[in-house]
Amino acid sequence: MERIDPSAFRRAMLDADPKLSRFDPMSRILSFDDFDRGFCGWGQLVGNYEHTLDAMLPGYAQHSQPMLSSIPHWDAGSHGGIDGTYALKIATRPSKGAQNCAIKRMTFRKAGPIRVEAYVAAKPEANELLLSATDVRSFGIFLDLQSMASTGPAAERVMPHLRYLNASDGKLHQTWQTKRNETAFVAIGDTGDTVSHYHLSPEGWEDLPGGEDSLCYNELPTKLNWTYLRLDFDLESMTPLHFQCNEKVFAPDAIGSIRMPAMKNLWGMLNFGFLVETDSDKRAFLYVDSVCISAEF
Amino acid sequence: MMRESAHIVVERNTTWEGEAASEPYEVGWAKEAILFVQVLAPAEHQYPAQVRVQLSPDGIHWCDEGTRFDLPSSPGDVVCARVAHFGGWLRLAVSMKKSVSTRVLVSLHLKG
Repeated sequence: MERIDPSAFRRAMLDADPKLSRFDPMSRILSFDDFDRGFCGWGQLVGNYEHTLDAMLPGYAQHSQPMLSSIPHWDAGSHGGIDGTYALKIATRPSKGAQNCAIKRMTFRKAGPIRVEAYVAAKPEANELLLSATDVRSFGIFLDLQSMASTGPAAERVMPHLRYLNASDGKLHQTWQTKRNETAFVAIGDTGDTVSHYHLSPEGWEDLPGGEDSLCYNELPTKLNWTYLRLDFDLESMTPLHFQCNEKVFAPDAIGSIRMPAMKNLWGMLNFGFLVETDSDKRAFLYVDSVCISAEF
Repeated sequence: MMRESAHIVVERNTTWEGEAASEPYEVGWAKEAILFVQVLAPAEHQYPAQVRVQLSPDGIHWCDEGTRFDLPSSPGDVVCARVAHFGGWLRLAVSMKKSVSTRVLVSLHLKG
């Protein structure tokens, strides 16, 4: 009897599952988040504080929780997800420059390669009868990682950041950007236990080489099309392996990370985040249809 | 199938003054909601402001659902309203008296 190739058998099983067939997961699926099954652990990135909420940095104070959205519009009704009713919706407040994000927090048990894949769409709030193509400033993906304690003195906290700068001050940029520079830490409270840094701040972003990318915006703020994103990262060498948006693949060394010495209480941290930012005084929305997080361990 | 349930903090340490409202929240998946308002800093006013539950067809235009309650003025005080059959969106609106403000924590407890 002919022996079955395990990898071909596995791929065939993925292809036979309509929910997973559109992903290319590594050998172990850590989570598959279809927002028809609830929030799946995606929540708010709340800022650090001590004694009073007033201590929270303004960047974090603006954050709020994501929603489960049928993507309803005043003119066309509910849009729905790729294969169900709901998507995760991350909404900014209605003021130029406002940002929001959603985060999922895990830890890892082995320092190996990980992959996050997602189908996303960014749109402004449809409160004007206009194309509104420059109202969303950016959307993106980030990781917040820290080596395990066993790494020793070489342990780092590493935060790969990637955003699609759609527009700035009303002008289209349509370019992928990354961030390498550490945002200044600020002491929070008076115990000496807490610090904070707003790593999503507008400062410090740089264009990826060849980062220009014309994505499908469609012709109204109420028409949206899903875009595939994939980010691979090696937790052993703490270096990026792959970033992809639909057909476009970027060189790993072009992907920047904010790097800093390991912090005292974040060992083995494995956080995933999506962000969105508005360039106008209207809300910007990032819809996430589904996310597949996988690892080679 | 286990019922979906969520605790959503819609506003945290937000200042309400003049005509104010919580950020719109999509609740189409839920069948019931309890809206909580906790006052974090005092609202210095003699007559309590009325908080109104609002519904929306689109998250842009809003109408009163009919449920109203008084906004407390003492820090730590919590008030709530139970609502059902609310469609796709919920928010709270308030009309504060002139030169009066308060800081609030607004949360939704949703089940569907």
